[in-house]
Amino acid sequence: MSLLEIRDLSVEFPAGENTVKAVSHVFFNVREGETFGIIGESGSGKSVIGLALLRLLPANANISGAVLFHGQDLFSLRPSELRKIRGKCISLMPQNPAGALNPVLKNRLQIEEVFEERGIDKKEGMKKSLRLMKKLLLKDPEKLCDLYPHQLSGGMRQRLVACMSLSFEPELLIADEPTKGLDPEAKEGAVELFTKIKKEYGKTMLLITHDLDLALEVCDRIAVMYAGEIVELDKASKVLGTPLHPYTKGLVRAQPRNGLVPLSGQSPSRISLPEGCLFHERCRYSGIECFRKHPEMKNHKGGWIRCHFQSLQ
Amino acid sequence: MSLPVLAVNELAMSFGTLEVFRNVSFSVSRGETVGLFGKSGSGKTTIGKCIVGLERPTGGEIRVQGENILNMGKKEFRKLRPKIQMIFQHPETSLDPRMKAFENLIEPLKLHSGLKQEALLKRGEELAELTGLRPEHLARYPVQLSGGEIQRIVLARIMALSPDFIVADEPTSMLDVSVQAQILRLMQKLQRETGVSYLLISHDLEVLKKVCHRIAYLDNGTITSIENINRGVKI
Amino acid sequence: MDNVFANRLRKKSFSLPEAYGSQFAKRVFQRKDMLFALAALLIFAGLALFAPFISPYDPNAIDLKNKNLGPSEEHILGTDYLGRDLLSRILIGARTSLSIASGVVLVSLFLGTAAGCAAGYYGGLVDESISRVIDIFLSFPGVIFALTIMGALGTGIFNLMLALSIVHWAKYARMMRGQVLSIKKQEFVLSAITGGAGDFYIIRKHIVPNAIATLLVLATIDFGHVILSIATLSFLGIGLPADVPEWGAMLSAGKEFMRTAPYQTIFPGLAITFIVIIFSILGDGMRDILDPNHEGGEID
Repeated sequence: MSLLEIRDLSVEFPAGENTVKAVSHVFFNVREGETFGIIGESGSGKSVIGLALLRLLPANANISGAVLFHGQDLFSLRPSELRKIRGKCISLMPQNPAGALNPVLKNRLQIEEVFEERGIDKKEGMKKSLRLMKKLLLKDPEKLCDLYPHQLSGGMRQRLVACMSLSFEPELLIADEPTKGLDPEAKEGAVELFTKIKKEYGKTMLLITHDLDLALEVCDRIAVMYAGEIVELDKASKVLGTPLHPYTKGLVRAQPRNGLVPLSGQSPSRISLPEGCLFHERCRYSGIECFRKHPEMKNHKGGWIRCHFQSLQ
Repeated sequence: MSLPVLAVNELAMSFGTLEVFRNVSFSVSRGETVGLFGKSGSGKTTIGKCIVGLERPTGGEIRVQGENILNMGKKEFRKLRPKIQMIFQHPETSLDPRMKAFENLIEPLKLHSGLKQEALLKRGEELAELTGLRPEHLARYPVQLSGGEIQRIVLARIMALSPDFIVADEPTSMLDVSVQAQILRLMQKLQRETGVSYLLISHDLEVLKKVCHRIAYLDNGTITSIENINRGVKI
Repeated sequence: MDNVFANRLRKKSFSLPEAYGSQFAKRVFQRKDMLFALAALLIFAGLALFAPFISPYDPNAIDLKNKNLGPSEEHILGTDYLGRDLLSRILIGARTSLSIASGVVLVSLFLGTAAGCAAGYYGGLVDESISRVIDIFLSFPGVIFALTIMGALGTGIFNLMLALSIVHWAKYARMMRGQVLSIKKQEFVLSAITGGAGDFYIIRKHIVPNAIATLLVLATIDFGHVILSIATLSFLGIGLPADVPEWGAMLSAGKEFMRTAPYQTIFPGLAITFIVIIFSILGDGMRDILDPNHEGGEID
């Protein structure tokens, strides 16, 4: 049973006389209890998807398609109904933990605020949070609550924000670029944190990241985005272990430990997309077909891939 | 062996009683890339800034072509300055937001080369080509460019000074994986073509192992070891 | 938490940026409040500029037979206690206020920029001494300070300008110093230094262009304040010579006849309020538009 289903989602932003196609025709579903990853480079449109799910995009965005949560279309909800879902069922873990905490409030107050907003008893909620904090590798949570955010390290702050996002037991946790700007120790910590959340908590997660290592460690399935489209979707180990799409291959090879082989060229302009396959200009396997025809998503050995030559590779 | 391009001897820095680093010594020869590895807050960036003369260390010496830059007069140092350059970590503040990419790029040429307008433009375009920039990038403002494009412009503007030595302070830590590979490979290409040396400061050991000839490990405010990475023949 | 995030996002504009100049004009046109304020200011400035030609009467012509009149066909806004036409006096008064205020703002902007740049860029002893001077100037209450200077210098348009500039420049200097302090740490300035650029070049090419936007916002808002100060001083009778029509002076003269001829205070009062509001709106709008980072058009 899928908890979240994205159907033909497209998002465009007007830019003067042009439109920027941020996301085009994205399909995927997230099953209950699964950790689903969306990976891609900056500008690939992955964060736009996360924001579109919560209807947090700016008002000038043109959105089409449907986002079904428990079979209910989020785009057709009234603001009050949406607020209920945003607060209780879906939680967004913010990108920048330092900015998400109010620097002049002690941590305890910030956690309590989460419950207050949702009308949950403070003491009850706090107890639950403390249990959760212990589980998520924060030592001595009581003491931590009496500190100010700036007294915590980046990794600790991230854990605290994670606890706050989880403390009212959302059914779906969306984490947008949780490792952006963290140093490598904190990055390793984040991997540990998300594994733990997955294990202890067992809730559905949507992880949006450009960190391939994190995605590989934590996600069950991964969608790879390129220029606003999903180009490959399969089990995490398959996508990052034996990638099929030339773009995913390029990403994996560009990692320092896999040879630091750069992908040539740059992502296409999103105002005038190239004809045919969006990746053909940078692809080393591209043939005549790739210039002419835009490839559709095709089923391939249980996964999905958007490439004319998937069977050849 | 000829004189190293850069030799740092027992460099020390402290603010009041707070010691940032001490006894930091290493040298870099022509065409070599030396990595400087350390945790965040270990003073890596400060070492880099001392080398290019943006900070003044409290002790030790920094020798460029055998001459200690800390003992130099202002005039002498100004002559040497173009030869030691620095790339910074944050692309978003590395270019003047009020100037177009191309104006940013040719700024050092304007200051040093004494070229006339036309020659200036031509040289600027050559540099842009050298670093893999497309003409349309040059007419944009920095906010309209991606991190990778900005780092290319930064490299182009540095190469305009034909430096001997570049301190690269986490030049790719803010970039995507594939762009990181592009920029690091570009730096290697520039090294092969011009023989420039790098001090590559990073907290990513995988990256350093892939591109450096030697890696210096900074721990607890001092260099604990220098490791040779087998990288075949040096230039 | 979600709401905080949403608010941050709403601030982020998703449109692709263009060149600065055209972008600025475009953004002004997108904002109705600024467009309105700008139009009102242009009309005001036009009226002030052509005041001698369009004002129906000589603003200083005394006509004791027709004193303290209410609005009528001959005198659209009425007359004052000497029978002088109020409309003519307000129009000429706009000319006085706007020209003095322009002078004060320009001088303060120039002085403040120079002092602030020097203090912020060079730091150390230079900064210490300039900052102390700024502190001293800022520690006096503005109007009393200006009063004292005017007392020493005597009335007159030039003296008024001088006095108000002395009072106002320190604000600009302090703000400029703060701007310079944050800009000079940014990497593009550091790379200009390692690129061998001299101090003057860096200040001229990098620091001032990046700092000036904030100062222009301050100048716009301050313009309204200066007009208020001029009116205050003239109201107290120490700003301008008696024969120069000025709104504050008109208020002061009219206050004797508040009961019998309220128009003498209402109309000049409205003029002052109106112009101050215009500059507030313009300043607010400029602050939103001139921030270079607002132009960021990242999608992801």
